[in-house]
Amino acid sequence: MTVSLRPDVARGWFPADAASHRRDAPKFCPSCAAPLGLAEGGRGLATEYWLGSDRVFVCYCAACDWSGDIVLTERVLGHEAEE
Amino acid sequence: MLTAEQNDELTDIAPGTPMGELLRRYWYPVAFTRELEEFPVKHAKLLGEDWAVYKTMSGRYGIVPEACPHRRASMAYGVVESNGIRCPYHGWLFGLDGECLEQPAERDETNFRERVRVKAGKAQELGGLVWAYVGPDTEECPAPELPRFDVFVMDGVRDIGWADLPCNFVQIMENAVDPHHVEFLHGRYFQFMGQQHGFEAPASFAKKHVKVGFDAFEWGIIKRRVVEGATEEDDDWAVGHPLVFPYNMRVGGANIEQMQIRVPIDRTTTRFMLYSVHAPDGIAFPEQPLVPDYEIPVFTEDGRHRTDYVEGQDIMAWVTQGAITDRTVEHLGRSDVGVTMLRRMFKSEMVKVENGEDPLGTIREPHERIDLPCEKNKFDAGPQFALDFIDMASSRFSPQADALKKLHITAWEGRQKV
Repeated sequence: MTVSLRPDVARGWFPADAASHRRDAPKFCPSCAAPLGLAEGGRGLATEYWLGSDRVFVCYCAACDWSGDIVLTERVLGHEAEE
Repeated sequence: MLTAEQNDELTDIAPGTPMGELLRRYWYPVAFTRELEEFPVKHAKLLGEDWAVYKTMSGRYGIVPEACPHRRASMAYGVVESNGIRCPYHGWLFGLDGECLEQPAERDETNFRERVRVKAGKAQELGGLVWAYVGPDTEECPAPELPRFDVFVMDGVRDIGWADLPCNFVQIMENAVDPHHVEFLHGRYFQFMGQQHGFEAPASFAKKHVKVGFDAFEWGIIKRRVVEGATEEDDDWAVGHPLVFPYNMRVGGANIEQMQIRVPIDRTTTRFMLYSVHAPDGIAFPEQPLVPDYEIPVFTEDGRHRTDYVEGQDIMAWVTQGAITDRTVEHLGRSDVGVTMLRRMFKSEMVKVENGEDPLGTIREPHERIDLPCEKNKFDAGPQFALDFIDMASSRFSPQADALKKLHITAWEGRQKV
């Protein structure tokens, strides 16, 4: 069965964030350099969540089984911020 | 947030897809035992495919694709024989293992029937449900054992609520690793609904989460929480409760043990089942020749979601995300790390299947019972939780709701006297 996965435009959409995700999600595994994204022929996964101004990509590489977080940061702090 | 391709992979359960092949490695409930006692064959939909599930007079269960390989008539209208099921149209008979045993209108000396074997699955009864496995079953990759999880085999009074929901099962499973929703959806929102409609929402759900944690273990992911006023010594953290990969969540508390079952019927329909066992200490349980099952309400008469009970609130949150939630435009935060962990688990288990390995939770050894970790003292709420659970959750729609409350009260009074 094929189901169309059209963007959920009618109830509010965030095309800029979706585009940023596609642009910035890690393309290759930091451990073995295999492609991560399905679009690049990879078998990995990168799920993005936000932490303040940081963007965290929770990555998994099926080629070498490496898993870890890659963080895009706007600031570098000397101490971890209170949460 | 995911790319569209990753969301597609995560939610597509068709045969031949990574998720479809992973899900075909597990057993699923496809009927209530009661149904096949009342009539020995019925249609079932599972993983986007149509099936006929049946029980022979000798008590054996079988499952075959619904369409007869001859002229595609429905085997769900078949004649159940002692050794299999016969198509109602021209009488082709298929055995429990899928072999074509008879073609009444064909000449005996031809080998035609050897060419039309059907891909039969395996079916068994356990705990008032008929379970089916429709995945690979070969010498290299035999069918796994049906897991005998504790709730399906323990003593107690059983009760099964259910509803068919118009959404993909993954967004329901993501809720199982999202502890924070409880204090809002079942806390603040419940209070709001109570204020609007004149009832008192249970206070135990509104407690603020101080800390949440997730641990992968042999059956899935254990979810832990510390709520305000409690500590890490309390059951909610020290024990927690598990998401049982890939489609169950085990919950409990105050002598009620429950498996929340989310069966992928097709890509945009999920059979949600609340399999409860009421098992307070200090009381004899009544006989249950058949386990009661009942449909729980999803919508009100005006077409809005019915949200004056706990699971109705969950259902609203799952279904209103859309038939397949668009994860390319979601915004996860730090509190959603359990969701990211589950997606990674789905992905890594898909890869195991692609590599010819058994996925998480495959059980090969015969066994009597699998005990799952599950807290007893829920939300630090004590025995009141059992009555709240029945009055304010799906059990209120049970035909035996009053008897269940009486069971817990009588047992509690008995324990106080000791």
